[in-house]
Amino acid sequence: MVPSAVIALSRVTAPARLAAAAQRRAGRSAEVELYFAFDDPCSAVAVIDLAARVAGRPVDLLMKPVLRRGIPGDPAVELKRSYAVLDAGRLARRIGLQLARTEPLAAESTAFLAEWVAESGPRSRELRAFCVRAMHHLWFEAGEPSPEVLRAMWLEELGSTPASGGHQIRMNEARMARRGPYATPAAWLAGRWYFAQDRPDSIMRYLDELGWTERQ
Amino acid sequence: MSEQPAEAIDFFYSFRSPYSYLAAPRAFMLPMRYRISLRFRGVVPMVMRGQSVPREKGLHTLRDTAREAQRLGMPFGPMHDPVGEGAMRCLAVAVHARERGSERDFVLGAGAAIWGRAVDVAADRGLRAVCEGAGLEWDACRAAISDPAVLEEVERDTTALGELGQWGVPVFNFRGQLFWGQDRIEDLEVELAGAGLRRPKGSARFAGDAGER
Repeated sequence: MVPSAVIALSRVTAPARLAAAAQRRAGRSAEVELYFAFDDPCSAVAVIDLAARVAGRPVDLLMKPVLRRGIPGDPAVELKRSYAVLDAGRLARRIGLQLARTEPLAAESTAFLAEWVAESGPRSRELRAFCVRAMHHLWFEAGEPSPEVLRAMWLEELGSTPASGGHQIRMNEARMARRGPYATPAAWLAGRWYFAQDRPDSIMRYLDELGWTERQ
Repeated sequence: MSEQPAEAIDFFYSFRSPYSYLAAPRAFMLPMRYRISLRFRGVVPMVMRGQSVPREKGLHTLRDTAREAQRLGMPFGPMHDPVGEGAMRCLAVAVHARERGSERDFVLGAGAAIWGRAVDVAADRGLRAVCEGAGLEWDACRAAISDPAVLEEVERDTTALGELGQWGVPVFNFRGQLFWGQDRIEDLEVELAGAGLRRPKGSARFAGDAGER
């Protein structure tokens, strides 16, 4: 596809606006799919920031944790992981938070969290609250990714025992690839996707444009 | 006598990067707002450095840049991809322009031509208009394009980016702190202000030269 066509199509919003209006008439909410990783500090900023920003709007923030992401064979992957910590610290400062870690977390150390969240289904308010608390714990309080501590947190928020298993994570990863994002955190909304740590204002503007504004 | 800023920021830029294009006007404004100088350092495009850019990343960059350009009030499209000779010719001219103190005008002009008017900078006709628009003599620019010393300078700047552990552009280096992305200039400005480098209001370094192109 030629660049001018890509750009022109990216600016078309009429079908999405019509679809959003139909959803509202049917009493439904907007859905923002948030693809993120617990070992990713920029995801921590995005989960906390977006959850706060969509509160009060008729928006379901669907929590879609993944493990595998990135560009296959990327020679800069380790550099990017280190830089992400520095970058997330600056992004956190923008929203009044201070990152408590200076080094990346190992992906395998938080994989169990991704399993719990993915297996529980993405939709509930309680799940979103758990993700926000877990991200605060891991990245802003320098809490260890301890299954015992986080299981207690899960019980407090969801009142049940978390389920394990990798099936839903793979589903999330496949869906993320179909939607287009190749890295986390990414937010998909009505045919568009954004790097969620970079473009929270743009996501809110698009929600406004589609009519998903604050509840009066 | 004009004050010479003691501090410098390196600005790593690629003519093939639309995010560099978006960053440039704000980057070149920094010395007017802070007591710093800006060292322009052009680098060879990522794909010409052997780094892969998957199709989805390319598509997303176009879409995201289009939205960001709209937000910033900058033209975006029609465009002419300068990958290959076009980018290298611009890099060589930028070195020459830097020696003349005209890099701002050349870089902003070339970016606007490539990303907003689909000018083919690999062709003499296209590049010449950009050079002359920046007040550069075409014969001198042509000489720079084939000057091995100039190309070595481009290689040095490209290598310097890699030695900083960075892979993409635009990148700003201030006191060893790296800021990657046109959307991180605001974080750089927080550092500059925190370092006490903000110029007092009404004391822009270049009077009458603070407007956007």
